[in-house]
Amino acid sequence: MKILVALKRVADPDNANKVKIPGSGDRVDTTGLEWKPNPFDEYALEAALRLTENGQQPKTRAGEVVVVTFGPKETETTLRAALATGADKAIRVDATDDQLDGDLVARALKTLVEREKPDLVVMGKQAVDGDSNQVGQILAELLDWPQATFAATIEEEAAGSVLVGREVDGGVAKLRVKLPAVVTVDLRIVAGASVYSTKTARTFKYNEGVRFAALPAIMAAKKKPLTEVKLAELAADTKLKVTYAKFQAPPARKAGIKVKDVAELVDKLQKEAKVL
Amino acid sequence: MTRREQGPAGAAVVQSVLEEIERRCGAGVVSTDPADLSELGRDWTKVFAPAPCAIASPRTADDVSAILKVCDAAGVAVVPSGGRTGLAGGAVAKDGELVLSMSRMSAIGEIDVVGRTVRVEAGAVTQAVHERCAELGLTWPVDFASKGSSHVGGNIATNAGGIRVIRYGLTRNWVLGLEVALASGERLAMGQALEKNNTGVDLKQLFIGSEGTLGVITAATLKLTRLPADHDVMLFSLADLSAVIRLFRAAQEAPFQLGAFEFFTDRCLARVERHRKRTSPLSTNGTCFVVLEAERGPANEAWLADLFEKGLVLDGTMAQHASQAASLWELREGISESLSATGLPHKNDIALPIAKLEAFCADLERTLAERYPGWEVCLFGHIGDGNLHVNVMKPDDLEKEAFLARTHDVDRHMFELVKSYGGSISAEHGIGLLKKDWLGFSRSPAEIAAMRAIKRALDPNNTLNPGKIFDA
Repeated sequence: MKILVALKRVADPDNANKVKIPGSGDRVDTTGLEWKPNPFDEYALEAALRLTENGQQPKTRAGEVVVVTFGPKETETTLRAALATGADKAIRVDATDDQLDGDLVARALKTLVEREKPDLVVMGKQAVDGDSNQVGQILAELLDWPQATFAATIEEEAAGSVLVGREVDGGVAKLRVKLPAVVTVDLRIVAGASVYSTKTARTFKYNEGVRFAALPAIMAAKKKPLTEVKLAELAADTKLKVTYAKFQAPPARKAGIKVKDVAELVDKLQKEAKVL
Repeated sequence: MTRREQGPAGAAVVQSVLEEIERRCGAGVVSTDPADLSELGRDWTKVFAPAPCAIASPRTADDVSAILKVCDAAGVAVVPSGGRTGLAGGAVAKDGELVLSMSRMSAIGEIDVVGRTVRVEAGAVTQAVHERCAELGLTWPVDFASKGSSHVGGNIATNAGGIRVIRYGLTRNWVLGLEVALASGERLAMGQALEKNNTGVDLKQLFIGSEGTLGVITAATLKLTRLPADHDVMLFSLADLSAVIRLFRAAQEAPFQLGAFEFFTDRCLARVERHRKRTSPLSTNGTCFVVLEAERGPANEAWLADLFEKGLVLDGTMAQHASQAASLWELREGISESLSATGLPHKNDIALPIAKLEAFCADLERTLAERYPGWEVCLFGHIGDGNLHVNVMKPDDLEKEAFLARTHDVDRHMFELVKSYGGSISAEHGIGLLKKDWLGFSRSPAEIAAMRAIKRALDPNNTLNPGKIFDA
């Protein structure tokens, strides 16, 4: 199986307090932010790796994983990390975040999919910076491929399909999706028994979470192919459908108060918060 | 005989002392709330029952002086208290002492970026100081797992060590000035923001590592250094301790600045897994693990490749970004907490000449296995400094009292070994209450006599942290 994984580099949400908006309010000031891969995209990469191996012998790859990101030169470290973790080849589409929106990314990805011809596109359900949750869905529509979003489980099936579990109210909905397809993944996809290729025994359980790059693989990743593509090559029309009018920080939280005892707490909840 | 050896002060004396403190320092300084007493009367050691008479939380250095003066005059003992993350019982108040909590005095002054100094109050939390300095590309390189709770004053009073000692040395190296209140209430301002100040005995050094027995630190002027460049954080699994020592040699000869070299055993990791649900991300796991941090440089990867060619490690990984680095560190930094959460550890913190570590550990395992069959030993530590944290875990089928009764014997056997290998019975945790019976294994009678003389000169009534380090 050949899988294309779309990875986005985002500002580390653990350092959200470092996000600054200049007085003009026309952008987010990104200087001094720490970057990391979008966690849901890391989970997507982990799912793709599990689908292209026998879980008992992860060093022998059985399939191909191509990672792609949209970003400036420095996002290549994100791609190198993905290569070290097990991806086979990487593509960087040269662009900066302000030149992109979900629609344009999906259109550019469509061209890439037509070039690379993967059996499956896997990506995070959303990026934790913009939280737009659009690219996977738009891409499936543009390709006219089936889609399964918010996947909690993926099982490869012999007949050229994947069985995707989605957590819904009151249970799990299972969708059988014929390949080629687009799947976006949720947090639980990295649980121990969430993803199985046809080669991995159902009794096998993965370590929870995403895998770390083995040291020899970090060395080997230097020699794996990483190519750069211009955005204009992939999308003739690079005009944005979504433009940002203004950025504004959320209002600062007011300081809390300490109460002396339960009676005072109840009194405040009744008279001031009016929730009782 | 000093006044303090007559035992805890009576209730009436305590009551009048507390009233006098409130009169001098204002309302709200004193608490006798039972929840505060049990919480603030102890540190991370679990073996002593807290029983302070009251908690005093001064707002200013004048308050500290006033409280000490009143207590010293009335014969009420005082336990200075910081973040209470100590592991030797130095901040335990078990005999009706007054706990002097420095939490309210946490101001961090303006950072002098040219002189690379900052003056902070004793109650400033270590991590808060780090964060403030980091904004200016600087750091106070005193760093350990409990930095989110520990206070700068406590770090200094215990001359804290930690994970950066291999690069930066102990806390002592990073203190330029110290402001201290003596038991009499008198204040000393020593050093301040000068790198060079060769004017007689460097008095502040007396208070660094004195565990609150000589004076109460109210503020300090810290020496800062540049924030290190990005680090590569690596985790290795190794077959045995001898491989760990060989890896350390290779790291010393490596073409990078070593930032940390931390060791732990598979038994520690199993406890972390039970408590925090985190485990080794490696596919081949031996009995020993090392977290290695190196300043990032172009030569790092060639060094790594060489390690594998030489077969020095079984497996390894390198963090690909900061949150991966944090999760590798969590395996090491989660140990202390996980041991306490999953059982009752009897903790020891010893230092040995690094060349003798392997032989010592083999001897220790053998001694314990012979005398205490079935007792689990969890070893971890800053092995690059020759510093081992030895944790003997209470067997599940043994009562707590029976276990504690025997740990004293365990210590005797271990410290005899430590002494025979030329080591120290306390590398960085201090002596406190826990180690005072064993001070003689690492210090000569003449040294202890000199320490007693200093104690008597600075605290003649034995008001400050009595019974810690030695009985005055």
